[in-house]
Amino acid sequence: MSKKMFSLLSLLVLLATLLAACGSPAAPTASSGDTAPAQPAEKVTLRVLVHQNPPMVAFMEEFNKKFQEKHSNIVVDMSVVNANDLSTVSQTRLSANDIDVLDIFGFSNAAQPYMKQVDPPNWQQLIEAGLLMDLTGQDFLKYYDESALQDAGSYNGKVYAVNLGRVSYSGIYYNKDLFTANNVKVPTTWSELVAACETFKAANIPCMTAGGKDGWPIFVGAYGLLGSIYPDQAALVEGLWTGKIKWNDEKSLEMWKKMQVYARDMMEEGASGIAGDAAPGRFASGAVAMFPGGTWYAAAIEAANPGFEWGYIPFPGSDNADDNKYLFGKYDQGWAIAANTPNKEAALLYLAEFSDPANYQAFVDAVGFIPTQPTAKLNTKIGTEVAPYLANFRVGYEQYWVAPKGAGQFANPWASYFKPFGTDDDPQVLADKVQADLQAGLDAVNK
Amino acid sequence: MSYHFGRGRSKWTPYILLLPGLLFYFLIALGPSIATAFYSFTDATGIKGAPVHWIGFDNYREFLFMGRASIDNLEALKRTLVFSVAVTFIQFGLGLFVALIVNQNLKGSNIFRTIYFMPVILGVVIQGLMWSLFLYPLGGPAAKLLSWLGLRSEFLGGPPEQAFAWVIFIQIWANMGITMMIFLAGLQTIPAELYEAARIDGANPLQLFANVTWPLLTPSVNTNLLLNVIGSLQAWQLFLVLVGYRNGTQVLGYLIYATGFGQTSGSVTSSFRQGYAAAASIILFLLVLVIGMTVQYYLQRRETRILG
Repeated sequence: MSKKMFSLLSLLVLLATLLAACGSPAAPTASSGDTAPAQPAEKVTLRVLVHQNPPMVAFMEEFNKKFQEKHSNIVVDMSVVNANDLSTVSQTRLSANDIDVLDIFGFSNAAQPYMKQVDPPNWQQLIEAGLLMDLTGQDFLKYYDESALQDAGSYNGKVYAVNLGRVSYSGIYYNKDLFTANNVKVPTTWSELVAACETFKAANIPCMTAGGKDGWPIFVGAYGLLGSIYPDQAALVEGLWTGKIKWNDEKSLEMWKKMQVYARDMMEEGASGIAGDAAPGRFASGAVAMFPGGTWYAAAIEAANPGFEWGYIPFPGSDNADDNKYLFGKYDQGWAIAANTPNKEAALLYLAEFSDPANYQAFVDAVGFIPTQPTAKLNTKIGTEVAPYLANFRVGYEQYWVAPKGAGQFANPWASYFKPFGTDDDPQVLADKVQADLQAGLDAVNK
Repeated sequence: MSYHFGRGRSKWTPYILLLPGLLFYFLIALGPSIATAFYSFTDATGIKGAPVHWIGFDNYREFLFMGRASIDNLEALKRTLVFSVAVTFIQFGLGLFVALIVNQNLKGSNIFRTIYFMPVILGVVIQGLMWSLFLYPLGGPAAKLLSWLGLRSEFLGGPPEQAFAWVIFIQIWANMGITMMIFLAGLQTIPAELYEAARIDGANPLQLFANVTWPLLTPSVNTNLLLNVIGSLQAWQLFLVLVGYRNGTQVLGYLIYATGFGQTSGSVTSSFRQGYAAAASIILFLLVLVIGMTVQYYLQRRETRILG
């Protein structure tokens, strides 16, 4: 090797080593004490990151205004990002030490003992890199459900996030006026749902709509169907990993057949072009009978048409009404603090102020979350609608599932694989393809 | 080798003047590229403070050979090539055709040049938004046109092949103006006397194009072909804006973005896998390098043959 070549290679290796050194572990931040947060002595700018959710952003702007009036030495600089980009932006800004308080979804998708070769989820990666502050012992935690703190914000016995509310994604909004006008009973079984759609279609009324342009609203809308067949979704995920459940077994095939009916016959033509945040408006216009979607859409429906009469029911995926009493969902938004924040007092004060029961009640009233503070009341319309099913609230499949490395792109129970959103029109063929894609991953990690 | 410029210290002047540019290039372009190559052999997450381990060729093995996912990756690779070939040739042909038309001294040709070039100055997001609205299946202009013929389509939300074809079309619409401009610049350097002489010799319009225009456009042809090939191999932004992460539509560039930046659906949490994404980037880089170098080699040979 010539001298020049050697020098060039040495330079490259040196550069690579320097760049790699930038990623060396940082010292973790110590836990905060069991005291109420103090006022910062000097004027500070508190950098806050939230995800796009119109009623939540509107509430936060109002809250920030009041917070700044009360604490004149703190200026809140809030950034809003799309939900899909939240994890990337959080990671980037935490790494650059450019954020103090951040919105973080409830901890989920953790690696389970029966899973092989899976990477830890991003929240765990952030904690292990020492980027999130340990909130254990903070006074404001006393306002929250112990179970919510434990399930959605703790890791290795320490609290790193306070979760602000649960949402269901397995229900259907229905248009009360259209149901009454067409003499249709609110469906409690799959057959009744099919019959209801047939009645509406015969009257030239689209049965269901969804924000198909964003992709996920189509398949998330059908998660209730999955839930009615597999009510224990943690067990479903374990069964899929261990091979006890297959996506092409008899029970799953029933699900695929129903998903085809849902995608092909129930969803309105053109739903694939509706953006996720435009779908509530489409439903609130009164043109469509039903809208399968999450409870987070309620505020947008009310804002689009305040006088509109609607209800919310669990997706009736089974012909046994008792199987349809569950609501599946997730822990939604939460707050975490950057471990290396230079504005620790202001950040803790922000969370303490937000957690004050009166402020928290105003927050859940604005966004329609199912509260994680036990003293908060379900004042919203969506709260009233879901109240009868709260005892049957379960964390859903999407929060448990971690795909094995090597699994194909079809290894998911998604209704959007069917025409007109996808290319499939045979449930058996699709079921075999989905299971083959999953099995390929399981075989690869079990080698 | 030293550059003979002045005497004494002044002979270093060119190097000193070049230094800021070189440093900038090294820091902004070359440095990150080398770092990407290095990280492709690690399990880097991109998180500050997270340990980075050397894992050899594991990322490459996973991308190219592990389970069904590797077949999906190769499908994305194939789709990238299809996209590149379609965009390169259609955009090239259309750009040349339009440049020939607007190069005529016809009334209003300046207005048409502006109209054809206009999409180029719009950002990808604006381009995507415009076409999403135009192709909105519930009463958008395209849906209305089809409905007059008794037809309907889901357009971008329809079958993946259909969505993919629309992205090709929009990519060409968005970038054809640049191709046209490069050809137009080339056409205007061809001396009018050559056409005049050929006409006196009895050449018809087709012969004029084949024997005067086409050979003398060689530098523009080469520039356009190279730009189109490289640009289309790396394209991913329009896929993000128009169709999102959908099975059957991903190209390699989008796959890298989605993997490297943990693109998620709503609140599903996934892992940050920048080491794996870096390996995919290197594979795309090699693809662009091999195709780009081959195309350039043949184009240079052709240029030497034609223009000497």
